Amino acid sequence: MFVKELKLQNYRNYESLDVNFSPAINVFLGENAQGKTNLLEAMYFLALTRSHRTSNDKDLIKWGSEFARISGTVIKDNSSRLKLDLVISKSGKKAKLNNLEQRKLSSYIGNLNVVLFSPEDLSIVKGNPGIRRKFIDMEFGQMSAQYLKTMSQFRSVLKQRNAYLKKLQHHQAKDMIYLDVLSDQFSAYCAEVVFSRLQFLQKLQTHIEKIHANITEDNEKLKIVYNTFFSTDGKSLENIYDTFKDNFKKNYQREIQRGVTLFGPHRDDIKFLVNEKNVQDFGSQGQQRSVALSLKLAEVELIKDQVGDYPILLLDDVLSELDHKRQTHLLSSIKKGIQTFITTTSIDDVDPELVKDPNILNITNGKVQQEEI
Amino acid sequence: MKYPEPISKLIDSYMMLPGIGRKTATRMAFFTLGMEKDQVQEFADNLISAKTDLKSCKICGNITTEEICPICSDKSRDQSTILVVEQAKDIMSLDDMNGYNGLYHVLGGVLSPVDGIGPEDLNIKLLLNRLKQNQAVKELIIATNATPEGEATAQYLAKLVKPAGIKVTRLAHGLAVGSDIEYADEMTLKSAVLGRREI
Ligand SMILES: Nc1ncnc2c1ncn2[C@@H]1O[C@H](COP(=O)(O)OP(=O)(O)OP(=O)(O)O)[C@@H](O)[C@H]1O
Ligand SMILES: [Mg+2]
Ligand SMILES: [Zn+2]
Repeated sequence: MFVKELKLQNYRNYESLDVNFSPAINVFLGENAQGKTNLLEAMYFLALTRSHRTSNDKDLIKWGSEFARISGTVIKDNSSRLKLDLVISKSGKKAKLNNLEQRKLSSYIGNLNVVLFSPEDLSIVKGNPGIRRKFIDMEFGQMSAQYLKTMSQFRSVLKQRNAYLKKLQHHQAKDMIYLDVLSDQFSAYCAEVVFSRLQFLQKLQTHIEKIHANITEDNEKLKIVYNTFFSTDGKSLENIYDTFKDNFKKNYQREIQRGVTLFGPHRDDIKFLVNEKNVQDFGSQGQQRSVALSLKLAEVELIKDQVGDYPILLLDDVLSELDHKRQTHLLSSIKKGIQTFITTTSIDDVDPELVKDPNILNITNGKVQQEEI
Repeated sequence: MKYPEPISKLIDSYMMLPGIGRKTATRMAFFTLGMEKDQVQEFADNLISAKTDLKSCKICGNITTEEICPICSDKSRDQSTILVVEQAKDIMSLDDMNGYNGLYHVLGGVLSPVDGIGPEDLNIKLLLNRLKQNQAVKELIIATNATPEGEATAQYLAKLVKPAGIKVTRLAHGLAVGSDIEYADEMTLKSAVLGRREI
């Protein structure tokens, strides 16, 4: 798939923009603070209805404007064309597919797939568990509308259960039968989420192992492990459900005391083991960087497996950060004919050997100028 | 410019209705100005009457002008089943289809701690008393919506009622009549399979 055309209106520092892209390599070239990352963010948002930089959608609206609009035309491998359209206003966001408004974002997300590479990827490996959970939920979500729906119901059941635990904590309620009901229901959603995550991770594992061995010249064996309060090895959906159910039963008193749900996928984590050792604790900066890169590259392959098309790649300031070897690995993906967007302040960062015939777009202060090729 | 008070107040009133924004409310208010005086009077009377002349049925919670609603008073109905719904308007939809001739019970919502709605805020006590007093009831059909809150409310009722030996069933959720399996989403298919019946 590739993005043929992008239109922006009152978005960040773009008042109005209509730009066509190459299905191969596009380079956004410009000084600092001109709007290069803003453009990548626009495509990321168009695909996932979330920004990678802010959790507040209103930040995307051009200062002083009432709304922002991002639209794009996507061409799929089977040459069908799809029009995506997002309007962000103070009252929320509206998503349209081929001019038809989508009531649920889960039916919108997944029509354009993106993988973003940025220096902050390192935080997926180094940062707190919340960053990793957000990563897996976003990425599995763009491959599966079912996962998005399950997650959204999971969150609403969690909210209800927490609200009820608070009531029990403050003695505003005492009905334990209702807590049983909420706990059983919540266990079913926990099991569903954990089981889907395990299935996705297993598929990701086959790719990441190969890619990482390649990057490290067979020196490192990378394994992703799902981390929850029990061992998930070889467990069925039914097993997982029972484990959650029993566990909640045993911990009612603790949960009521704290007034909050203490177990579930909203507290789980993933670990990256390099040669059996947790790379977060024992890895060097360079090893951690390689793991982050392998993870993103594996994701590209997983999306291809799951949805049938390669995603588009967004490379934000990564080339200047990566050494030649890792750059080569990253850019070898592009050889497969994947549409790629690269931001850079200097065209010298882009090795002409690796990036052939790029479509160069000069970015200055919210304006885009296409270089004649 | 500001509208004169009578019309701006009318606009505010229309805006209280669900799904009505300022634009639509303004259109409706100006339309009202153009209506005949006796039509407007009738409109206002209807609003008042709906609020003052209707009460909820002492037995089932349905809206009615009498103490006991026509459904509860109708002895020709099957007295052995009670169909539990969230809202009184659900009775209208269900009873219009002519496929059910039993009794009803209106909960008045679903359990939702987030919105501060607990068991005591719904007509659950009324239902339990009704079952205790009326030994003829053999089956409770729970027709709350297929939302997580509707499901939890159904499960809760089942837990309360089952020990008394009353059969508890749930309205089947699944494929829409005339729909194609190919186009149904996974969740719909799942609940259709789970809710399958013998033929
Ligand atoms: N909501 C907004 N309205 C108007 N301008 C905005 C808004 N949000 C950000 N900007 C402006 O956008 C610019 C930042 O753009 P961007 O992050 O794309 O820069 P960049 O070209 O990627 O720079 P760098 O090379 O430093 O990464 C800043 O000048 C900022 O003031
Ligand atoms: Mg930038
Ligand atoms: Zn009645």
